[in-house]
Amino acid sequence: MDLDRLRQDAAALLADGRARMVIGFRDRDGRSVPAFITDAEQAGQLVYDETCLVNPAAYLKRIELKRFRPVAMVARPHVCRSLILLAAEAQIADDDVLVLAVGDDTYHGVLDLAGAAALLNETYADMPHDPEVMKRLDELSAMTPEERAAFWTEQFAKCTRCYACRAACPMCYCTQCIVEKNVPQWISTAAARHGNYAWNVIRAFHLAGRCTECGACEAACPQGIPLMLLNVSLARDVENEFGVKVGYDAEAEPVIGSWNADDGEDFIR
Amino acid sequence: MTQTKPNTTGSAETFEPRIVAFVCNWCTYAGADLTGTSRIQYPANVRIIKLPCTGRIDPLFILKAFEGGADAVLVSGCHPGDCHYMSGNYHARRRWTLLRNLLDLTGIDSRRLFFSWVSAAEGQKFADLIDDITGRVRQAGPFEATNPARRQPWT
Repeated sequence: MDLDRLRQDAAALLADGRARMVIGFRDRDGRSVPAFITDAEQAGQLVYDETCLVNPAAYLKRIELKRFRPVAMVARPHVCRSLILLAAEAQIADDDVLVLAVGDDTYHGVLDLAGAAALLNETYADMPHDPEVMKRLDELSAMTPEERAAFWTEQFAKCTRCYACRAACPMCYCTQCIVEKNVPQWISTAAARHGNYAWNVIRAFHLAGRCTECGACEAACPQGIPLMLLNVSLARDVENEFGVKVGYDAEAEPVIGSWNADDGEDFIR
Repeated sequence: MTQTKPNTTGSAETFEPRIVAFVCNWCTYAGADLTGTSRIQYPANVRIIKLPCTGRIDPLFILKAFEGGADAVLVSGCHPGDCHYMSGNYHARRRWTLLRNLLDLTGIDSRRLFFSWVSAAEGQKFADLIDDITGRVRQAGPFEATNPARRQPWT
């Protein structure tokens, strides 16, 4: 990873005004934390490694950061996919965001959204689902439904409804989330079984065909709930059933919200 | 038709499944109506909730039914191509494909969640469907003990 070049590019972007803020990562006491850099001289503190699981695209929904657009962000391929998807959902304009694209041990340079899409389709077209998660999904599907229910009841029982998963997700940008609507209240906000089940299942479902599997929600969960099991399972279904890998095409129609007369229906009697 | 008194926790012999059916106004509800006007008998275990279209059925409706103690949920609407609103059932079908697998993964399996197309002319199909589903849920037994979405009383 050419960290020096990344720092130089970030400084240059800020110095010549192509970006008003660079969102990346810095080191704080041996841990990587998000960095919000507006001064070219501070670009030297940027770092990047595999612990940088925060998805910086999530900060685009923050109203207080809108005045810093255009923003440049250090983006791994999953983050680039989030950005493409945000553009497809008309949440960001083409000139709102620049990307300091990082890959596995490589730095790809400064790209605009079109460039990021090109990079994804050329180099990262075939990103596999997390093999560890896939293994656990296989284990779960081998269980009986009662065992699965017990597994998830135990997992969801840990949920304190802090909504860190929602805050960490770039695609959870609704100004009023369904869980906060209380007339009528569809999802109980009490940290009890039914509300926890409904919240976690509906959170995942509202990301069906929109999740880019960046893993930020699971990394943000203070209770260690394996949220990626839900997300990856949905992403796998979207791929298998509808042949779509999300976040590669800013012109793509949403998976939920479009349809095809030939969609499978062998489960419908 | 007499109303079934729910006995959703009882033993296998006395268990009467409580099934919630979300149906669309234009096809399945009319189909169920035809079942009645044709005097075809079907089990009284099903509670029908009429909605304008299957496209109106939010996954939260289904979760709410399970939360309230349903042993199974049926979702039914117009056959593909017959939607009163042109494409509501196509939209719904995509949603169900994903939701069905997600609920299966989290412990509400295919013995508890059914989908069908029943047209306004298929009164007999509706009766057969309810017959079959009720039998299957009766076999699966009460959901109360293992239902991961079931509402809990305050403790």
